[in-house]
Amino acid sequence: MTQFPDNIQSNEPEFHGQEAVAKAGFGSMDDPAEVNRRRFLEAAGFSLSVAAMGGCGRAPVETALPFPSQPVGAIPGRLQNYASTCAGCPSGCGLLVGTRDGRPLKMEGLPKHPLSDGGLCAVGQAQPISLYDSKRLTGPLLTGKPSDWATIDQEILQALGQIKAQKKSVRLVTPTITSPTLQTSIDKFLAPFEDAKHIVFDAVSSSAILDAHQQTHSARLLPHYRLDRADVLVSFGADFLGTWISPVEFTAAWAKRRAPSEDSPVMSYHVQIESRMSLTGTNADRRVAIHPRDQGPLVGRLAEKVAVLAGKPHWEKLAIGADDSHEKVLDELAKRLWDARGKCLVVSDSQDIGTQRVVNYLNHLLGNYGTTLDLENPSYQRQGNDSDVEKLVEELVANQVGALLVADVDLLHDLTGSFSLAEAIGRVPLTVSFAPREDEFAAAAKFVCPDHHALESWADAMPTSGLMSLAQPTLRPLGKTRALLESLAAWSGQPTTAYDALRAYWEAEIFPARSADAPGDFLAFWERTLLNGFAEIKPDQSTVGKFVADSIKPLDQQKVLQKESDAFSLVLYSKVGMPDSRHAHNPWLHELPDPVTKVTWGNYACLSPGDAEKLGVKNGDVIKVSAGEGRVPLELPTLVQMGQHDGVLAIALAYGCKGTDRFAKVGPQWFEARPTVPTGERLGKNAASLVEFRDGSRQTSLADVTLTKTKSHRELAITQKYHSLNVPAEVAPHGAEHREIVERTTLPAFAKDAHSGAAEHHFEGEKQLWPEDHEKTGHAWGMVIDLNKCTGCSACVVACQSENNVPVVGYDEVRRQREMHWMRIDRYYTSYGTGEGEEMDIDHQPMMCQHCDNAPCETVCPVLATVHSDEGLNEQVYNRCVGTRYCANNCPYKVRRFNWFKYPHDDTLQNLVLNPEVTVRSRGVMEKCSMCVQRIEAGKVEARSHGSPVADGAIQTACQQSCPAEAIVFGDMNDPKSQVRASLENPRGYRVLEELNVRPAVSYLRVVKNTEENTDEMNTDENKSDMKKHNGGSHHG
Amino acid sequence: MQQRVITIALVTGLCFSLALFVSAMGKWRMPDNQQGYSPKQPIAYSHRLHAGDLGIDCKFCHSASESSRHAGIPSSDVCMKCHRYVTAPLDVTRQEMDLADKEKRKPVAVISAELKKLYDALALDEKFQPVEGALPESIPWVRVHNLPDFVMFNHQAHVAVGVTCQTCHGPVESMERMEQHATLSMGWCVNCHRDATREGINGKEVHASTNCTVCHH
Repeated sequence: MTQFPDNIQSNEPEFHGQEAVAKAGFGSMDDPAEVNRRRFLEAAGFSLSVAAMGGCGRAPVETALPFPSQPVGAIPGRLQNYASTCAGCPSGCGLLVGTRDGRPLKMEGLPKHPLSDGGLCAVGQAQPISLYDSKRLTGPLLTGKPSDWATIDQEILQALGQIKAQKKSVRLVTPTITSPTLQTSIDKFLAPFEDAKHIVFDAVSSSAILDAHQQTHSARLLPHYRLDRADVLVSFGADFLGTWISPVEFTAAWAKRRAPSEDSPVMSYHVQIESRMSLTGTNADRRVAIHPRDQGPLVGRLAEKVAVLAGKPHWEKLAIGADDSHEKVLDELAKRLWDARGKCLVVSDSQDIGTQRVVNYLNHLLGNYGTTLDLENPSYQRQGNDSDVEKLVEELVANQVGALLVADVDLLHDLTGSFSLAEAIGRVPLTVSFAPREDEFAAAAKFVCPDHHALESWADAMPTSGLMSLAQPTLRPLGKTRALLESLAAWSGQPTTAYDALRAYWEAEIFPARSADAPGDFLAFWERTLLNGFAEIKPDQSTVGKFVADSIKPLDQQKVLQKESDAFSLVLYSKVGMPDSRHAHNPWLHELPDPVTKVTWGNYACLSPGDAEKLGVKNGDVIKVSAGEGRVPLELPTLVQMGQHDGVLAIALAYGCKGTDRFAKVGPQWFEARPTVPTGERLGKNAASLVEFRDGSRQTSLADVTLTKTKSHRELAITQKYHSLNVPAEVAPHGAEHREIVERTTLPAFAKDAHSGAAEHHFEGEKQLWPEDHEKTGHAWGMVIDLNKCTGCSACVVACQSENNVPVVGYDEVRRQREMHWMRIDRYYTSYGTGEGEEMDIDHQPMMCQHCDNAPCETVCPVLATVHSDEGLNEQVYNRCVGTRYCANNCPYKVRRFNWFKYPHDDTLQNLVLNPEVTVRSRGVMEKCSMCVQRIEAGKVEARSHGSPVADGAIQTACQQSCPAEAIVFGDMNDPKSQVRASLENPRGYRVLEELNVRPAVSYLRVVKNTEENTDEMNTDENKSDMKKHNGGSHHG
Repeated sequence: MQQRVITIALVTGLCFSLALFVSAMGKWRMPDNQQGYSPKQPIAYSHRLHAGDLGIDCKFCHSASESSRHAGIPSSDVCMKCHRYVTAPLDVTRQEMDLADKEKRKPVAVISAELKKLYDALALDEKFQPVEGALPESIPWVRVHNLPDFVMFNHQAHVAVGVTCQTCHGPVESMERMEQHATLSMGWCVNCHRDATREGINGKEVHASTNCTVCHH
């Protein structure tokens, strides 16, 4: 059996099917075996009858273990929800933890949460699989060997005593901590030391924004951005719908302003000016691709123009050497901003403090402070202080640190660059890691004191001033881990439990600041907060100075980003599904197709189509990225990304983490399987080595990066073009040649005619092939998806995976187009006009089983394994399916998934993540979206138990529940008062591939872009088929 | 003559084996049909005594049946609600009391062998004090009604519309040892669903769906 090398040398075509079998040396075709037909039949007959007889036996004996003593309120098999706070990132979204039989299984958004408003992102959704991770540490380690807490505490206390006596420095490194209780215990722990410091290190920080406010407003704060109040929104690179600061909150706020109706055809105007293609960029009304070096000058230029409009032009030029090709855009933008002053917002993800100062100046000129930016009630969601981190590096290198304690970041992974800390850390007398897994720093640290998983411990959070959120454990710690707070308390000499510390802090600090309507008794207040998950308290108003314009300095084209010859400018970013290295062990997030690139498993180097052509590379060709001396070159596969500016290279951070080789054998192992992670390597490459300290912050852009083509090739597992069907225009039914899968219109057109953008309905009133026998007298379940609100964030994909036991199949299977996600988000590029990225629109379309009334899959199933219910659902019956796959072939939407394998379920701990309400499918059966029929049935049973009809909104599908944008509406179409019925009457409504007359139960609401009415110019040229995606096909042939 | 004897012997043998075969046919069942399954349980619990003679309502112990998919096997502390006081069959206790009366001594607590297992599982001694160093453990009841993994039967749904427990579980109140009464096959379920939709349950009109995904999801 020959193994395919993972990196195929040269572009050898791939082998499929029999040819591949033969190639692999498995049962060669020319080599007749000794078994003849007769003997084969004999053997087959015998084994079949034995198997049949074996099947007649009794089922295996199973035991049922009740509790010795049942906890109050625990009902076997019943879903119980607990309000909590998500700890996936410091945004502090509200979390509803669905537990069954004591197992947290499903993460959902907490309805009515002031920030997240019932939404939850993909990262939050994916937490259960990291909880039931057998690779998590189960107890403390002492110099790499399992130890016990008593020994660890004794040794650490002794070491800390020495440090105190010798007056050495203590450094505690954490990412942003929004928990005031934990912050108090950190302060308490550090207090006795003479030289102690808590360093906040965010791998992707917003340090420059905080520093800029320090200079312009004399307060190092992060404003609380109120996107819901912004009529005009200008973002310089900030991917606020994907990864920037608090994406769920921002998506919810953004989407609220993206719902034009017939009565009020208004929506916000969103301009994105960026170098790479971000998720936010794909959703903007207008997107301008710029070179990273132009970001500063463009911000400066915009400020100059706004200052002129404000009647107080700045005394000096703010932009030097700006590319004047964007003058027209900036003029128009300045005018729109000025017209919407007080109701607009300018944001930037720039890590350059100078740029952020001018952004502040812009917002100040526009009168946005106090309206769309709240600095008096600031946000605490990002507190990273890059200059502190820089100092720490200096101290470490200079051997000045006595004790280094690191929680929740991997110092050796996230903080590398032209220097290496490995040696310096080895010299630190006391090193303690709180990592839940043995990451790079933990491997080097003397003590590893693993923290609980967030679902195992008590915590609180204050994401923004005036909002306190509680996190409660939903199961007992699986291992002998200990909360960070408890470890610190033990070493401060005041051992306490996290729960006691929390209660004490809340009673002393939070309870007195309770809002007027809160109970006057602490216990009642506490219990109410625990039930709700959060409490609104009197905000501690921060003292903010008056705007100081002195600090505004002209913005030069950053010399460091100057483009020289053929060198590239690098932009580092974090992926929507991988915000930081803490999630590197999460298979659900790795298999989640990136919302923009649609690549799964690993990171890659994004290049613009022009650059790729110049370099002569295609998707998957490995290129070597070198960034000057002292930095190890990275070898990454290329990804050609539309809309990216020429001369820009974009690489995702948080890859190449220690221990990710565990994913080598994820997914089915068969003779042709290629490992997800090549032997001896890690998943992706660590691009953190390219982050640079510059001007007081960690810069995620770097100039003078040279790219060289290598000979190797690693095919990327991209889901984008899977299941594509391109039907030539000549065979398409009349009138359907140019039907768009995603219909779109512009706001002016919509204001004139709410039905604008609709395809001509050639097919209405067409004769039915089948008699109308699908009478739906009871319920008629249906779904409406608002494509104008959907950002493509992919939270629904993971929500569906978690709810419906969708297996992880690994890189190789995804590459073979056998991914199992029931829900995919199709990304469509539409180009119009000529020129670069600006002239491009991107749409996202969630696509899952459309539950057609005239379902093409149902008519071809020979065993009636897929049938129609009297409630309008297209049912897939696993136990009846024999796996002919006719249905998948006949499905025009390509939403059916086949179990090519019995996907591994050997990790008994990981199996705890499985939802007992949904069958785990076995090999050889077809599966697809069931519209969460288990939830529908549960909702119906619940209503019946109470003797009431099913209330609208009582049943929510998993995808709908967590959608941060509330783009998905599900309900009973027979209920005249239901939300789904109202949405169906929306003039923007349409059905995908309506011309096929399959009558889907899922409909979509047309995209409305707030741009000029120039849709006629849209280039629907079929020659651009590489840009236009016909996922699902216009028609099945 | 000899031939005749052989023939008679053969015919008798054939009849005998046919009779055996036919009687065996009665026991033959479709694969996975567990009808009549009555495994030995770790504690010889009698439904006949509790549900039949004593008339304890099913839902007193199987309380989850009203609010969950599973009826649930009661936790051991539910047993203890009564068995803290009832430690042995009445006649055995009476005997001891009579004997104690006769011998003019205080009666000693009689603990039946079966209930001893319950107390042991809960790590309680004869005086119901926790045994030091021991932890309460679940009693490993053997599951009698076990549907395939792709079938989602919901107790709550059936209890809510008034389907009696006996409809599926048979005369539990007369079973000394629990056994599977019905075939629990799909045909058996669907027939009942059809009948219920046609005839109603206890005079109440119901819609017992026969959609596949009602059970298979």
